[in-house]
Amino acid sequence: MPLKHWFYTLPLRLRSLFRRDHVEQDLSEELQFHLDQKIREYLAAGLSSDEARRKACREFGGLELSKENCRDTRRVNYIQDLLQDLRFGLRMLGKSPGFTFIAVLTLALGIGANTAIFSMVNSFLLKPLPVRDPEQITTLAFQLKKGPLLTGFSVPELEDLQAQTTSVFSDVIGDLFGAGGLTVNGKTEPVYVYFVTGNYFTALDIKPHLGRFILPSEGSPTALSPVIVLGYNYWKTRFAGDPSVVGKTIAFDGHPVTVIGVAPKEFHGLLSMADMQGYMPLSMEQVDSAYDRTTPVNRELRSVFVYARLLPGVHFKTAQSALDVIASRLAAQNPKSEEGMTLGVYAERFSRPDPDPDRTILKIATLFLILAGLVLILACVNVANFLLVRATARQREMAIRTALGGTRGRLIRQLLTESIVLALCGGICGVLLGLAGSRALSSIRLHTTLPVLIEFQFDWRVFGYALVVALLTGLIVGTVPALRASGRNMIEVIREGGRSISGSRSRLRSALVVIQVGGSLMLLIVAGLMVRSLNYAQRSDLGFDPRNVLNLTLDPNGIGYDKSKGLQFYKELLERIDTLPGVESASAAFTVPFGYFNDFDLLEVPGYEVPQGTAVPSAGFNAVSPGYFRTLRIPLLEGRDFTDADQEDSQWVAIINEAMAKRFWPKESALGHEFRAVGDRAHLLRVVGVVKNSKTNSMIGVVREYFYVPFAQQYSSLATVQVRTTFPPETLVTSIREQVTALAPMMPISEVRPMLQALYTVNGLLLFQFAAGLTGCLGLLGLILALVGVFGVISFAVSQRTQEIGIRMAMGAGQSSILKMILRQGILIIFAGLAAGVVLALGMASLVGDFVSGVSPYDPLTYFSVSTMLVLVALVACYVPARRATRVDPMIALRYE
Amino acid sequence: MSKPSDLVQGTLDLLLLKILALEPMNGYAISLRLKQVSGEVLQVSDGSLYPALHKLEQEGWITAEWRPTENNRRAKFYSLTRLGIKQLEKESANWGRLSAAISNIVKLKEA
Repeated sequence: MPLKHWFYTLPLRLRSLFRRDHVEQDLSEELQFHLDQKIREYLAAGLSSDEARRKACREFGGLELSKENCRDTRRVNYIQDLLQDLRFGLRMLGKSPGFTFIAVLTLALGIGANTAIFSMVNSFLLKPLPVRDPEQITTLAFQLKKGPLLTGFSVPELEDLQAQTTSVFSDVIGDLFGAGGLTVNGKTEPVYVYFVTGNYFTALDIKPHLGRFILPSEGSPTALSPVIVLGYNYWKTRFAGDPSVVGKTIAFDGHPVTVIGVAPKEFHGLLSMADMQGYMPLSMEQVDSAYDRTTPVNRELRSVFVYARLLPGVHFKTAQSALDVIASRLAAQNPKSEEGMTLGVYAERFSRPDPDPDRTILKIATLFLILAGLVLILACVNVANFLLVRATARQREMAIRTALGGTRGRLIRQLLTESIVLALCGGICGVLLGLAGSRALSSIRLHTTLPVLIEFQFDWRVFGYALVVALLTGLIVGTVPALRASGRNMIEVIREGGRSISGSRSRLRSALVVIQVGGSLMLLIVAGLMVRSLNYAQRSDLGFDPRNVLNLTLDPNGIGYDKSKGLQFYKELLERIDTLPGVESASAAFTVPFGYFNDFDLLEVPGYEVPQGTAVPSAGFNAVSPGYFRTLRIPLLEGRDFTDADQEDSQWVAIINEAMAKRFWPKESALGHEFRAVGDRAHLLRVVGVVKNSKTNSMIGVVREYFYVPFAQQYSSLATVQVRTTFPPETLVTSIREQVTALAPMMPISEVRPMLQALYTVNGLLLFQFAAGLTGCLGLLGLILALVGVFGVISFAVSQRTQEIGIRMAMGAGQSSILKMILRQGILIIFAGLAAGVVLALGMASLVGDFVSGVSPYDPLTYFSVSTMLVLVALVACYVPARRATRVDPMIALRYE
Repeated sequence: MSKPSDLVQGTLDLLLLKILALEPMNGYAISLRLKQVSGEVLQVSDGSLYPALHKLEQEGWITAEWRPTENNRRAKFYSLTRLGIKQLEKESANWGRLSAAISNIVKLKEA
């Protein structure tokens, strides 16, 4: 029925809308025909033509009224009214370009800041993986005896999970991050790949851009399948997007591999923020010269990230309870490796970059969205204030409209349409600003050559968000002025002559400015706290000396060097660098402090009883060459440094940090004691030295247990050579590069930068810098908006009181008393705002407190200095218009209308 | 002058639909017919006739067509659509029920 209904009525509606003149003509003609017939009738009855016409018209009633009633039946009035309002709104905006420009710019800044930050939140939290049914993808993680939440599983554990979870998961897949060298046409470059299980691509169910993906039959962890799928962006840059590369053989770590396909453009691997350059079967991990032969069977060599696809209709809770059963079964079967294991399943979307029960990313996102929202509110308040001023100026217009029969609802609708038009213009400009802002945000330098993907793309979510924000903004800024403008008694307004302003109105405007001052103060306090936190982190004692150290990362495996050749290479290279002028010392290490690679393992310490209720002991570790502590200036407290005598076949040794020594051997010297890392139970590590605590991957918090092993005993091909220089480290780059190429011409070199710069990583200072920068920008934006507000309200007050000021001056008031009078109003607003801002900031403190370090979120110094600054700047904003008031010429002012 | 609001609510719609069910007509002819068939009891002002017709047209119950009249002037002729036929049936039935009910009440003997 409704469908059939539309069949008849839709053409009519469309005709009414788009062929309005035709419809109108039809209407006139129809009614005219009626009248003419009537006139004929009366003429025939013998009336004179004049009488006939008059009688016909009288009987008809009001012709125009009838027409209007006919029009009302068309049911497109609201659309026509809307179009009319839109046209009118645009005309009004066009008539005052100054106002329009400022208002649109203000809204654009607010909406732009929100859009930019939302685009970031979108890519971190909302954007689904570009795979089939992304909501089914989950991330698995586990804990051992309430230890840290771990995401790296061992290969046997992965296989157990695959075999035992078929009732809840359709697929369990794994990937393992790997670095290597890819040789194409005789040139080797570092490459970052995922070693993936054979079911990886079938489970994700995506289509390759070219060729094919890795097959389940190629997934054995032992049988070598020398194939590689290239990442789209890598294929575009390294192979210039050449489709004929599929089928070709290239070399990975010196081993021939066949390119079988190219991944689709939008797929970058499952790790968020990474843009994987290639995908190879899990077995290809073996070509790494540091590969541990026990990997396929060692339950404690854990480095595979595991994801699972939920079976259709299976809920998280069901999957979780299935995993609970499996965890206790695994723990019972393998008491040595999996005792006290608990497994957890997390939605992939909330596991970026890692599963995090604390939802830290969500908290950060909330904080920034609140701050950006506040900026938007400040912008709204400014525009609402402008509109209130305009509403005053347009009182007569509104009164006349009312007098002509405009209902209040109709007037409100028209005014709201105007403000929404304004907000939409602001929204369009805001999206453009937001694009620029998000480009600036994503150009943040991560100080790594890792293939990091920070793309804050503008997809429909971001545009939708901007649209909703703009519409809301229009409603918010328009409602109060519209209600006020339409609600006044027209007779009163016309009599007033649009000259006076009622007290309540200016109180409302002042109250709005108070909100602005308060909001901007809060933004500035948060920014101040973030800056202080950054300063604190920058100045904090790292435990090592990052100045005058140059880093460069090498990977001899990338050009096919085996372990002994690689060790030899590093040894010779360090010796050569040591002899260069300006070099104090040189060493090699698997990872640098705050780098993107971190080794970590659970510990077994003979003679150490894990206290009841505490987590299983664990520690981070690093493989370093002799001289490492000298190069980084980490003081050796006890024992000895590593030497060339610490070889693979000699006693395995370790140097531990103070924290570790204190935890396990609190009452005696740690020297001579032994412990194991569970990933390698075959070797008992003997403590030969204790070094001072130094920060390794967190700027904040206490330094945790950490140990170092000799590079020769736990070789890693991918390693960073660090050189302490007496000259500025940048000046030595060329000569050190020359030494590398002299030894191995093909050697890929990456991550060449001074250690001071290398501190600005995600683990290091980057987030502090980012937070300080972003909140600083938002604070500045808020400050500008508040100043515009203060300036605007005082200027307006001055202009409204020109006559009064003129009279006062004519009566003998001095300039200073006029100045005082105007400033008093401003000062009241500023201090009320100050109080509001402090209250707001205190309210936010607990949320902010999670993200600052070294400074209390209630830090009185920050509150005081930021407030003082704001007061000074705001006073200037008041002083300018107040000063103008004192220049009023009484004669002109009195004549002023 | 009797206005449609004086008619029982919705009766004008029923009358117009019924008249048009007999043959397609222009507005003037409809106004004559109304007067004629109701013996001038039901008078609809010309000014209210057209909005009522337009409403029926917008509802999709009647459709309009420009045709020449007998004396060769262009006039807008209305005719019932299939939806209109159904609507007429519905409204006639309603009317029947309503008038029966009312006359029953009116016929009640005072005790």
